[in-house]
Amino acid sequence: MNAFDGATTVLGIVIGAYAAEITNESWVIWSGLGVSLAMGLSGFVGAYMTEEAEREKKLNALEKSMLTELTDSVVGKASRFASLWAGIVDGVSPALAALVCLTPFFLSSHGLFAINSAIQLSVAMALSIMFLLGVFLGKISNRNMLFHGAKMLFVGLIITFIFFMLKITQ
Amino acid sequence: MIRRLILDVLKPHKPGVVEVAEALSHLEGVEGVNVIIYEIDQQVENAKVVIAGSSIDFESIKKKLEEMGATIHSVDEVAAGKRIVEEVRTPQDRSARM
Repeated sequence: MNAFDGATTVLGIVIGAYAAEITNESWVIWSGLGVSLAMGLSGFVGAYMTEEAEREKKLNALEKSMLTELTDSVVGKASRFASLWAGIVDGVSPALAALVCLTPFFLSSHGLFAINSAIQLSVAMALSIMFLLGVFLGKISNRNMLFHGAKMLFVGLIITFIFFMLKITQ
Repeated sequence: MIRRLILDVLKPHKPGVVEVAEALSHLEGVEGVNVIIYEIDQQVENAKVVIAGSSIDFESIKKKLEEMGATIHSVDEVAAGKRIVEEVRTPQDRSARM
């Protein structure tokens, strides 16, 4: 679900760039890259430290019940591996989603698109990622996939709508 | 050489009995394993582990169980030698119960 953060943040940057009427895509690219790196690192550290603390607590309780140390057992190894894996997933997913949404700007900087097309495409990609995440959530929870996709898409549309309203009233 | 080993083992819920039994059955000298859970607590469970084989290495069994997060509470029966000698009831056993 951290991918949602990545898509939402880049959506904010892109809409902000549109509102500021930027003419150079490097502003969006560098802001986006900075945000991707920060979100990736913060996602990894946050998830890893939280998971590690929670799992350590559970392992300590289990060690008390077992009256033995479980650090070198499969239980201890699984606990450490799960914390690391949760950190990697939570770190990589927002950074990856953000990078995907920035792709049109990379292409635009090489002259493949006009900057306005890159903005439109990037917004479309961010909204698509949100929709697909909702579909995925619907699938794993055995609920209506389209409804959950639409719910997530609605969040993205709210952000877009608010910004466009601000731009109009400017 | 140990032919049969009966252990009282305390283990966490995970890894489960299937994984424990499979891991023990892959050890050298082990031909068959039976794991029965006879008590379950909130965090742990007690299991009776019966291991049969041609030449069971107790240390490797102990090491494998510790790797799986389990501990041996007690060694309840050991059968060693060229053939397995079953437990024999004697008059003393009867009198001891009375």
